[in-house]
Amino acid sequence: MVRETVRWLVSSLVLLFVVTALTFVLVSLAPGDAARSVLSGQSTGYTNQQYQQMRHLLGIDQPLPVQYWHWLDGLLHGSLGTDLFNGQPVTDALAGRIGPSLSIVLGTVLVAGLVGVGLGIVSARRAGIAGRIVDVITLGGFAVPNFWLALVLVELLAVKVAAFPAGGYVPPAGDPAGWIRSIVLPVITLSAGAVALIAKQTRDCMADVLSREFVTMLRARGLGTASIVYRHALRNAAIPVVTVLGLLLINLLGGTVLIEAVFAVPGLGQEAVTASGTHNLPVIEGIAFYFTIAVVVANLLVDLSYRRLNPKARAS
Amino acid sequence: MTVRRPLAVSAALAGLLVITACSSGSATGRAAGTAGDTLTVVTVASPQSLDPGKAQQNDAWFDQLAYEPLIVRRSDGTLQPGLATSWSYQGADNKTFVLHLRPRVKFSDGSALTARTVVDDLDYVSKAHGQLAPFLVGDTFTATDPLTVTITATDPNPNFPVLLTQDYIIGGIISPKGLAAPGQLGTHTSGAGPYMLDAAQTVTGDHYTYVPNPNYFDPKGVHWHKVVLKVITNAQSVLNALRSGQAQVSVGDPSTLVAARQDGLTVASSPLLWNGVTLADRGGTVAKPLADVRVRQALNYATNRSVITGALFTGNGKPVSQVTVPGGYGYDPAMANLYPYDPNKARQLLAQAGYPNGFTMKLVTSEFQQMNLLAQALAQQWQRIGVHVQVTDDANPDQYVSDAFSGKFPAFSTAFGQLPVWMEGPSLFLPTAAYNPFHTDDATLKSLYAQSSRASGAAKTGLDRHIIDYLAQQAWFVPVVSTGLPYYATTTVTGVATSVNAPLLSLYEVRPAG
Repeated sequence: MVRETVRWLVSSLVLLFVVTALTFVLVSLAPGDAARSVLSGQSTGYTNQQYQQMRHLLGIDQPLPVQYWHWLDGLLHGSLGTDLFNGQPVTDALAGRIGPSLSIVLGTVLVAGLVGVGLGIVSARRAGIAGRIVDVITLGGFAVPNFWLALVLVELLAVKVAAFPAGGYVPPAGDPAGWIRSIVLPVITLSAGAVALIAKQTRDCMADVLSREFVTMLRARGLGTASIVYRHALRNAAIPVVTVLGLLLINLLGGTVLIEAVFAVPGLGQEAVTASGTHNLPVIEGIAFYFTIAVVVANLLVDLSYRRLNPKARAS
Repeated sequence: MTVRRPLAVSAALAGLLVITACSSGSATGRAAGTAGDTLTVVTVASPQSLDPGKAQQNDAWFDQLAYEPLIVRRSDGTLQPGLATSWSYQGADNKTFVLHLRPRVKFSDGSALTARTVVDDLDYVSKAHGQLAPFLVGDTFTATDPLTVTITATDPNPNFPVLLTQDYIIGGIISPKGLAAPGQLGTHTSGAGPYMLDAAQTVTGDHYTYVPNPNYFDPKGVHWHKVVLKVITNAQSVLNALRSGQAQVSVGDPSTLVAARQDGLTVASSPLLWNGVTLADRGGTVAKPLADVRVRQALNYATNRSVITGALFTGNGKPVSQVTVPGGYGYDPAMANLYPYDPNKARQLLAQAGYPNGFTMKLVTSEFQQMNLLAQALAQQWQRIGVHVQVTDDANPDQYVSDAFSGKFPAFSTAFGQLPVWMEGPSLFLPTAAYNPFHTDDATLKSLYAQSSRASGAAKTGLDRHIIDYLAQQAWFVPVVSTGLPYYATTTVTGVATSVNAPLLSLYEVRPAG
């Protein structure tokens, strides 16, 4: 166990190093830089001298390896650097954005897990009309573009009915109901496709497990259907579903940008787009750092779930 | 029976949503946006910095709420006292400008306004390398007495009054405490304006919350208990924020203009930009034909401005032939139709210049303000007179700026905000201007500019017109359409108005309706 933990820690650190170094390189390859971003906002244009002066002021005239070394050094001392434009510590700048992103992503994974597994079981168990209806619903989830769904939901539930806010985010502290209301529409929007994905995966796995010999034997022993489905079959079918849920979580971390824009949610995705557009390297690095941590944690949770669900994995 | 549990879970989730939706109606955006309580204003981009020395003009709202300017520009364009109660030029050459400050003014941090504060502030912003610092660089600032500041410029500056309004940010004065800790100015405010930033209720890049400044010298000017500037990048989401009552005022977008009007929102828009093409290579360095004024004029005659305006800028554009907007600085109504659409005349001019079969030239464009569409439309129209334009569409704005201002391309698409002619010169047409990458040096133009810089009143107005007319006759540019920056507002607020002399909405005048 200790050996595995050490191995996990080392691989996580390597991943962190690779991702942040690659981010540095990729940002430097993109056309333009932060100095041009500052100056190009001027309708009056700028001269080369002003440009060089601005590069020096922002500290981006140093060689890239030197900049990266400074960033790593800061990280070892607990600092993710400061925003190039307003001097705000990156940890402060991103602090208010982690909550909204996590709320939407975890909310979507929760809804996708519960509803998707539920629908998948129904579909696997009922070959008749109920199963067909569930199939159509899940296929619809795949087919509907989430951007369009977002606009429809806003029109119906925020503008016409005013049941939920059209956009924005309310932190849970002090107003839990407001928090839930603020994430309902983004979560529904993102869940449409995710529910379909999980339902499809669950259905296939459940159908496979329910057709196995041990299930027939359980039936022969006189076990009830509910017990067979929830205590035995679902446990076996859950491993691939958990894998997909883990992948879904990782995918959502970077895939909520459009929905954050539509619902004006101050998440990390939006900040990543803004920072990339202005070549704000410390902020981009900070976001890459947080995303990598999230990916590492998600993988860890998936591994722990395997152990919980599969005794063989536990034993090995 | 087998399906009950998963369905029950799903139903419970749905039930939770319904309950949540129904139980907390009082916390909806509608309630939060009650006039007089909270004013929520939506803008489409967040400021890179709140520091008045580094902020950009596009982000003026974020600073004007907290930093009272020396001079306030009202929505009709008239100037009124801010931190300065009066101001005037001394002498006849527009080099010495004197401001008399309002007595007994305190900043939000409690420190007092003095002439020394203003001098220190102007010194700071002129050296902060911000967007507007070049207009103050080289000037000296003197506290003539405790409440009088004298600005002495090395070159004439006829635009000090406008430059020191909220629209140009650098007129907003920073407190001594703020100047003592400039590292904090990017994310905190230290002004004497009607509001001050509440950092605890602010998420940088998403929303900025301002609360009343208890020390504001004119409490009647504080119309709201709270002002929230919310950043929403998606144009449709901006409109939805107003339609759902979450916000009361916003920056608009051409793509939602018609819908905003249909929804009964107040729409205010005044001409702000002229859009067209800069024919930069007037010396014929990389495109020899452009060295001939007849060729440049031919391109102007070959441009069907009304067709492009109708097709690309419906409801938000007016055809223009001058490098200003109708009614704007230097605009000459007599020259409004200097280049009527006349392809035959264009062909004639090309033939006279020695290009009867036309020529080929390169042009770079970006996608800002539909410049790429405008460039394609012009390329189509100019093809009719034999001029083939090879358009490079730089999706990356930084790349466009680099290409356009480096002299690599003989022509580039342009969307230029109307500025006083004195400010326009160093940017647009003087030899060192960024929009003059081939450094065309015209003695007549420089002479007119020098005279205008020293002039005032009607003489200055005449000289400004003369400059704009001269640029049009020399066809340094192909202006096509003037466009405005639209603003939307719900009926719960008033004061959302702009004019050609003040096309940027002033939040000072937005107040609860009724």
